[in-house]
Amino acid sequence: MLNMNLLKKLRPSSRESSLFIILIVAVGGTGLINPRFLTGDGTRDLLTSTSVVALLAIGIAPIVVMRHIDLSIASTVGLSAWTVADFCAKNPSFTWVQCFVIGSIIGLAVGIVNGLLVAGLRLPSLVVTLGTLYIVRGLVYVVSNSVDYNAQEMPESLLALGQKVYFGLLPFTFLMVIIAMILMALFMKYTKSGRDAYAIGSNPPAADLVGLKVFRRTFLAFVFSGVMAGIAGVFYLMRFAQVDSTAFYGQELAVVAAVVIGGVTIMGGSGTVVGAVIGALLVQTIQGGLAALGVDAFWKAAINGLLLIIAIYADRVLAVRNEKQLLAQRIRERI
Amino acid sequence: MVAKGDLLLEMNGVQKRFGGAVALRGTDLKIRAGEIHALLGENGAGKSTMLKILSGVHINDGGTIKLGGKDFITGSPQASIDQGVAVIYQEPSLFLDLSLAENVFIGRQPKKGVAIDWKFAQSEAARLFKELGVELDPKRQARGLSIADQQVVEIAKALSMNANIILMDEPTAALSASEVERLMTVMKSLKAANKAVIFVSHRLDEVFAISDFITVMRDGATVSENPVGKTDLQKVIKEMVGRELTELFPKTENKIGAVVLEVKDLTNPAYFRNVSFNVKKGEIVALAGLVGSGRSEVARAIFGVDKYESGSVSLNGKALPAGSPVEAMNRKIALVPEDRRQQGLFMVAGVNRNISMESFDRLTDRGLINFKRERSLTNTWKEKLSIKFANQADPVDRLSGGNQQKTVLAKWLATDPDLLIVDEPTRGIDVATKAEVHRLVNQAASEGKAVLMISSELPEVLGMADRIIVMREGRQVAELSRKEATQEKIIAAATTGKRSA
Amino acid sequence: MSKFAKLGSVRRSWDTAIIGLLLLVWVFASLTTSNFLTPLNFSYIFSNTSEIMIIAFAMLFMIILGEIDLSVASILALGSSMLGWSYAKGAPIWVSILICILVGTACGFINGFLVTKLGLGSLAVTIGTLALYRGIANGLLGENTVNEFPEFWTSFGFDTIGKSFMPKTLPLIIIFGILFGLLLHKTPFGRRTLAIGQSPEAAKFAGVNVIRHKMIVFTFTGFMSGVAGVIYTFRFSTAQADNGVGLELLVISAILLGGVSIFGGIGTMWGVVAGVLLAGSVESWLTLQEINAQWRTIVTGILLLISVAAPVLVQKGKARRELKALKS
Repeated sequence: MLNMNLLKKLRPSSRESSLFIILIVAVGGTGLINPRFLTGDGTRDLLTSTSVVALLAIGIAPIVVMRHIDLSIASTVGLSAWTVADFCAKNPSFTWVQCFVIGSIIGLAVGIVNGLLVAGLRLPSLVVTLGTLYIVRGLVYVVSNSVDYNAQEMPESLLALGQKVYFGLLPFTFLMVIIAMILMALFMKYTKSGRDAYAIGSNPPAADLVGLKVFRRTFLAFVFSGVMAGIAGVFYLMRFAQVDSTAFYGQELAVVAAVVIGGVTIMGGSGTVVGAVIGALLVQTIQGGLAALGVDAFWKAAINGLLLIIAIYADRVLAVRNEKQLLAQRIRERI
Repeated sequence: MVAKGDLLLEMNGVQKRFGGAVALRGTDLKIRAGEIHALLGENGAGKSTMLKILSGVHINDGGTIKLGGKDFITGSPQASIDQGVAVIYQEPSLFLDLSLAENVFIGRQPKKGVAIDWKFAQSEAARLFKELGVELDPKRQARGLSIADQQVVEIAKALSMNANIILMDEPTAALSASEVERLMTVMKSLKAANKAVIFVSHRLDEVFAISDFITVMRDGATVSENPVGKTDLQKVIKEMVGRELTELFPKTENKIGAVVLEVKDLTNPAYFRNVSFNVKKGEIVALAGLVGSGRSEVARAIFGVDKYESGSVSLNGKALPAGSPVEAMNRKIALVPEDRRQQGLFMVAGVNRNISMESFDRLTDRGLINFKRERSLTNTWKEKLSIKFANQADPVDRLSGGNQQKTVLAKWLATDPDLLIVDEPTRGIDVATKAEVHRLVNQAASEGKAVLMISSELPEVLGMADRIIVMREGRQVAELSRKEATQEKIIAAATTGKRSA
Repeated sequence: MSKFAKLGSVRRSWDTAIIGLLLLVWVFASLTTSNFLTPLNFSYIFSNTSEIMIIAFAMLFMIILGEIDLSVASILALGSSMLGWSYAKGAPIWVSILICILVGTACGFINGFLVTKLGLGSLAVTIGTLALYRGIANGLLGENTVNEFPEFWTSFGFDTIGKSFMPKTLPLIIIFGILFGLLLHKTPFGRRTLAIGQSPEAAKFAGVNVIRHKMIVFTFTGFMSGVAGVIYTFRFSTAQADNGVGLELLVISAILLGGVSIFGGIGTMWGVVAGVLLAGSVESWLTLQEINAQWRTIVTGILLLISVAAPVLVQKGKARRELKALKS
């Protein structure tokens, strides 16, 4: 199954390890309040409900590493989910294969547009993807024309795949997330493109100076994020078996929160895909834990926001401590 | 393979002009393998231009450059690297989030199959660090590395690209004494590996301690080129100075009055320690010393842009609170900062908006700015300082350097300060405007303002100041009166910390 | 820096161009639809853009400073929810209104505190508070809505003055517009705002208290979002948690459309007013053309992209022409 050697090679940094410990504590704590959380069913629910956000987190992690952001992903999920459902409703012969192909193509198209605007014209990614967030969601409104789709219009093979569970607790979608995470983690660590992403985010002017292919890397990162969002749209269908024009509306911030909580700093240059996935799991677990405590689901967004602010603050505290040490060192050397 | 003593680089009569200004009028330089070659000269002597030609930033207008007997291709940094010439800047720009091994091999990572071979990259980096005599951990992050160690990483990078000639532009300016020693070890190991090192430094004691050859430049030409054994400190200083002081700066004798600024034991351990001096009404006091000796930081601390750890600043006998530029301004201190583009001006804003920036008190009626008065304020200072611009609303970015500097001066003189601090007031401006700036500073003093001037240009210091305080590595090392000061004495104090005869 | 300056001169002409563009849209719209250039329709345009306009007045300062506040729409919703919630619990209406504005101000203050005192990036932080404030509104009201308000106030929200076509909110908006316009263009505070955006370093050397200044701007952005919350509540006669979802993007795109640089340091009040009205007019035209309301989201996005891409493209074209001229 999973190649242990490969896992070892990923060598999680201390940040990921501590996050993982926090995750275990959170899962354990939730389990204490609600024992069902620790059962196979509970784990399966957690993993199923995290799949979409986790896949998107894998998609935007490289972008955030490059000191950019992609806010259009949630709209892309919506467009992909609705369009895939629409195609399936009109072509009953379609199976899960066509679903993934269509979803990917839609994500690819959005990614190309974002990539050209951000990398080609060097426009700020925040504004560009804010714009495409609108445009893509608007497209969903226009093409859907208030038509919703339910389970009966979707291919059985797709829904079956969505129900598929390995070892009693690993849903198909999360298995895909794990595979994507491992491949991406290896890519980010062992290829030139991956390393360039860190360099570009760490020091953009220097990246230009040493002649890194900034345009190509940035462009491809947006394309990748787009494709992941397209596939996440299909995951969305597999989980909910229904879709309307507001599907996944406004969830881009939940993904950004997951990524930042997972240790990918918004200032670029550091963080890993593994961290981003753990971040997504952590957010979902904390949500689950608070629900178990009897906190109303309406507080979900508030908790997401608070978690994000705490994550940014923790990051800042670490950076300030670092700077202070440097200064102290400098003073020592001066004496 | 090059052997020790092989002639690597030969520059003959190299010339370079920037518009009307001649930067190099005929420079010769010979660099041999296994040699450390110091390049000396005052500011503006042409050292940087020469390094920039070698590093591919500029193309020479005349003369020949031969590298290993072949013509050297200038004008592209990449070409310079390909020909084996690498530059180490004063402040390297590493990728702080990446490991040292990665920084060494960025963009050229060794591969095994499709993947990067990290083991090999790390062992290679470790080998290079070892060769340089500084055993850094190639797996550690660059963040948190001292500037000295960052330079080592850059040097290792240069070696990994097979550079034969390594240029270092004032590598020691930002380093502490122990770090300088380490860098010297590195330079020696480069020498042992038969590389040629060209370095620019203003710290003459270091130069004599490490170099094999010393080339002195002045006014864009080579003055002398000697093995270190055939020259000495006094001789080199004479060669750097070279000319008699021309009377560019007519010094007016002012009546010197009561103490305006009193600085006592000012200390910010990262930059300066126990600095004490005063400036009196009508007096111009110069803070001399090398870049990085803590002069500007003292000025910033007085004005309140930075905080200080201990000591005190008082103005007209009353203590000035630390860390508050607003308070400093209320107490009539003005600071014309070192870097006019980044610190002194708002480049996209109009001339009028820059000049009025500190004078809102006098320009507002019930809180609203009176544009008419703002215009007349601008006109007043335009005439007083003969600033040249077409339209009041022209962004200062369009003005020449000299007019920009005058705009900064106007902005602060408009506040009618008691204490005027000017940091490098004539850097990068043409000779005519320079004289004008000097006249303005003199005039401010004659109007009874206290003036604290920071300058790296010795003729300026000698021509303008009533008293000169010399700093070196964050400490005051000498105080000279106008009568006793000479260029030689200042250079000696600033570079060796010792007062020479 | 010089690239920044060049972009600056393009920007300056852009904010005058946008006024021209606005007039052009009006001419085009009135030629294509008979009922565009009517007092009633303009009343709608003003009324529909009132919250955007109110928040944009403050956000203008924010973006000029080089900061951003994405939480404004959530502040509006939280204020509105608090207004409805407290009123439903029996508070006098004026107390509820005050609560709405105070909550807004407090939210802005918190944003400012996080950004200036803790040193966190405003983009990331306000993404966080966007979720946080909206989430609190959600937790407070859930799916409930409050829509019983005194008639005096609901009529303030959507009625016009006497028999004219001027919405009752318009004088308030005009007063705020003049106040903030003066603040930006005629006071030292405004000058310092521009200065910080152009060069925070130089502002420090010019004796500007950058931290306090940013704190003030964050706080009054919260205040204005609270005011917008009051207007929104009464205009729709509804207090609920999802009031004004996505409004922050409309505000930002209108501001960028008005020639304010996303990099800070450049912007004018008239540009922003024109930008908001332009977006409002285009939407009105789409409505009158009976173009599917869904298209408006797309148009907003495209306007946003144009507003950020146009100055860069103009600059690139200029540079290319200059290069050509230089070569020949």
